[in-house]
Amino acid sequence: MMSGDSFSVASSIGGFGQEVQNTNPNPNPAAKKKRNLPGTPDPDAEVIALSPKTLMATNRFVCEICNKGFQRDQNLQLHRRGHNLPWKLRQRTNKEVRKKVYICPEKTCVHHDPSRALGDLTGIKKHFSRKHGEKKWKCEKCSKKYAVQSDWKAHSKTCGTREYKCDCGTLFSRKDSFITHRAFCDALADESARLTSLAAANNLNFGNDSMNETVINPQPGLPLGASQFGSGFRPELSGMAINGNSLGVDQQKPRLSLWLNQANSQLNPTDMMANSHLYESSGSTAFPEMVQAVSGNLFGSSSMPNFGNFNNQQFQGFDKSVSTSKNASLSLSALPHEMKEEGNKGNVVETLSSLYSDTQKKQSKPSMPMSATALLQKAAQMGSTTSNPSSIFGNSFGVMSSSSSNTTTSFNTLNQNRNELHQALQNSKQQAAENFTASGSVDGMLGSSNLSSLTTSTNSFDQLMMQTSGKQSDPVALKNHPGSNAIENSLTRDFLGMGGRESQRPFLAQELAKFASMSSAMGLSQFTGNH
Amino acid sequence: MAPMFQDEGSSSVTSSPLQLFSMMSLSPNLGSPYPFVRELKSEERGLYLIHLLLTCANHVAAGSLENANIALEQISQLASPDGDTMQRIAAYFTEALADRILKAWPGLHKALNSTKLTLVSEEILVQKLFFELFPFMKVAFVLTNQAIVEAMEGEKMVHIIDLNAAEPAQWIALIQVLSARPEGPPHLRITGVHQQREVLEQMAFKLTEEAEKLDIPFQFNPVVSKLDNLDFEKLRVKTGEALAISSVLQLHSLLASDDELLRKKSPLAPKNLNGIHLPGVLQINQSTLGELLEKDLVNGHSRSPDSATSSPLSLSASAKMDGFVNALWGLTPKLMVITEQDSNHNGSTLMERLLEALYSYAALFDCLESTVPRTLERLKLEKMLFGEEIKNIIACEGAERKERHEKLEKWVQRLDLAGFGNLPLSYFGMLQAGRLLQGYGSDGYKIKEENGCVVICWQDRALFSVSAWRCRK
Repeated sequence: MMSGDSFSVASSIGGFGQEVQNTNPNPNPAAKKKRNLPGTPDPDAEVIALSPKTLMATNRFVCEICNKGFQRDQNLQLHRRGHNLPWKLRQRTNKEVRKKVYICPEKTCVHHDPSRALGDLTGIKKHFSRKHGEKKWKCEKCSKKYAVQSDWKAHSKTCGTREYKCDCGTLFSRKDSFITHRAFCDALADESARLTSLAAANNLNFGNDSMNETVINPQPGLPLGASQFGSGFRPELSGMAINGNSLGVDQQKPRLSLWLNQANSQLNPTDMMANSHLYESSGSTAFPEMVQAVSGNLFGSSSMPNFGNFNNQQFQGFDKSVSTSKNASLSLSALPHEMKEEGNKGNVVETLSSLYSDTQKKQSKPSMPMSATALLQKAAQMGSTTSNPSSIFGNSFGVMSSSSSNTTTSFNTLNQNRNELHQALQNSKQQAAENFTASGSVDGMLGSSNLSSLTTSTNSFDQLMMQTSGKQSDPVALKNHPGSNAIENSLTRDFLGMGGRESQRPFLAQELAKFASMSSAMGLSQFTGNH
Repeated sequence: MAPMFQDEGSSSVTSSPLQLFSMMSLSPNLGSPYPFVRELKSEERGLYLIHLLLTCANHVAAGSLENANIALEQISQLASPDGDTMQRIAAYFTEALADRILKAWPGLHKALNSTKLTLVSEEILVQKLFFELFPFMKVAFVLTNQAIVEAMEGEKMVHIIDLNAAEPAQWIALIQVLSARPEGPPHLRITGVHQQREVLEQMAFKLTEEAEKLDIPFQFNPVVSKLDNLDFEKLRVKTGEALAISSVLQLHSLLASDDELLRKKSPLAPKNLNGIHLPGVLQINQSTLGELLEKDLVNGHSRSPDSATSSPLSLSASAKMDGFVNALWGLTPKLMVITEQDSNHNGSTLMERLLEALYSYAALFDCLESTVPRTLERLKLEKMLFGEEIKNIIACEGAERKERHEKLEKWVQRLDLAGFGNLPLSYFGMLQAGRLLQGYGSDGYKIKEENGCVVICWQDRALFSVSAWRCRK
């Protein structure tokens, strides 16, 4: 057997180093080729030894006209048609084709031996590249290198897509090897006990007992119940971070995923589960818990009639400290301090609200100290009402401020400026009066109050300026408006509602309404005009 | 129109009603000397504080330090970081104003700040407090995560770049959602950028733990770097993976640049500074103060690119920002979600910024007052986060001024110009966010939708905006 082969080897060795012209024709689609078992070449097959150059060559057939390379002779022939060259397509020889097997030219290689020849030309080429060739193709994701492009392509399709990780930390890309490993992995022994209880919890959904298990399941450094929730509003954050996460995650995995599931159909039952976490999240750092709690809250307040009952059931299963601290956290936490039953859903998506929202807000909490925002609004309104007249008034203030910067120490110039200001005010006051009488019906009150505020503003502004420069008031300045002072004092008090009033509340409501209407009528339009 | 005064104080100021309030009176009662002020009720005190604050700011802007000093003295009688909202705000704003004044004497300023201790642990704590006490970050996370989940539907390889990887909660939530995907979880890679290694290590630990529990192929790559000099190569963006970028309150610091230099080079810079005459100023100062004043004047007078007006041409020029955003675009992310403060604190003049900041921080402080009791933690948050931000906005200029918050529309413009197309945030995400806000117990929190972006408000004052973007070809 071997002698015959060796003979043909010898005969083909002549072909060693030359181009071998017998390419395999395309597999005949009609007759399926018989495949030998791997590692057992056909004994009477012709053994072909190709040189490395031949094996690695890609485009062996070259057009003499344009030097374009082709892998198959047929392709070259067809190409030659384009040059109007004579071409001839080889026909598949009708006589019996002798089977060819190929050996690897690399002497140290196993496949160099004809008894281990490979049956396919493509196969031998790939083999040669893989084993004895340079790895030119690199996977981008994991930096694995390949000599054969098709290997590289196949790998990059699956690289990183499916990775199995054992709990001991080993990574596998193949499912079978992963499963085999897992069966023998020691680390799993501990986990399996825990996992079965978790699985039970997941399946039962509302099972109090199993949840108890997971809650109470001792983990290092997890102070349950009291320390987590009962420590009031701000538990220690670093501790909490771990606690909150580990406590919440096991229970949350099914719930959060369900809750955030795109299909909203699961929302209702999910939120019932989430309700159990409603009060846990006060003071915890874990965001998912927070989100959980929110969802629970919303649906609890609006759509779940038996919310209260259900919640109680839930809490019975928990640690006692949790349930007692539920109340504590209710009162302390940033979470609902008033469980509003009315649906706040309307607030979810809003458009820009009107200017008067601040006044409404102020009126709604009359007994609470005014918020800073409200104070600023009020100050702006007060500022805008006094500045209603034209920009000349603004001019005068501009003059004031620039000149005031000059006169940090000299008081006389201050007086001068004040006089200028009074003059400017006189002018503007008249102008303002004209403006106001020309406008609508509101102006009767508007004009007088504005004017009064103008005069009072200038008077007291003077006083304020005197304060800031730390000197006593100059009696000269006040003489400019002798008549208005007496009248204006009462209006001054009204203006700010201090001193002569019994209660703050009526001031707020009435005066604010007045300011709001004034500002809306005059101030804003004025200022949009100014811009 | 506003009068064309050279004085920085007045030209931008007369148009603001609040500023006019500072000019006007209060009743003669309030004009009395000090002992009276202790009897003021909270509202009157608040109004008085506003008045004093604005007066002081005007003086600082105009350079009249004596007057500013007097105002500061008066404010200090009334303001307190422990008092009611307005008192607290006044305390921080006046501290900022004082800091600004002090910068006129750089040696003095440096000497006073030389032994300041900044503990990393405290900074981390403050960020945690901000996350906890307010729902804003959580809402941003919910919206970001939802946008990511939707954009990454069907993707097998997901890479997320977090430009401020400090809070693991966001990604823990995302990991949980992704693990429950019908098509199975993707291969997830998160690259976190932060200045402190410890924070990134903690983040890596938390996230890897979570991913392991849920059996998701996961990788966390820490990148210890500032955003200013972020080397994009370190982000290791690979082809074939779907990239999402998340930036929470980070981009605005890239707008910080040496405005003076920019303005002098810009063709819009006014050339007629010589017309300004403020004799009072020159008497007071050293040359440094004069320069500071001149800077203020330059700021006030020229309608240069980074003014507060919202005309389309007025995007502030910042090479750093442009470079960064272009580099982000170059990564061709599938999704980019930007969360930013939605306030204009980048006006070119002090007064513009101060007035805007007053409103914004009033809302934030009110929010805290309404939702959180007066604890030490709240004080820390107010002082170490907001106080520092206010100080930066008011007292710093040029490249030092990092807290350059801008309104949403400016960000929209900027990102649009850089080749990003807006992706409307999903309704489902907004629903989740709305629910979260309601769970916070106060109906002061509101959420609005504006052209596909979401704005989170406190009592109608817009505070934060979240917007999503894709790469446009």
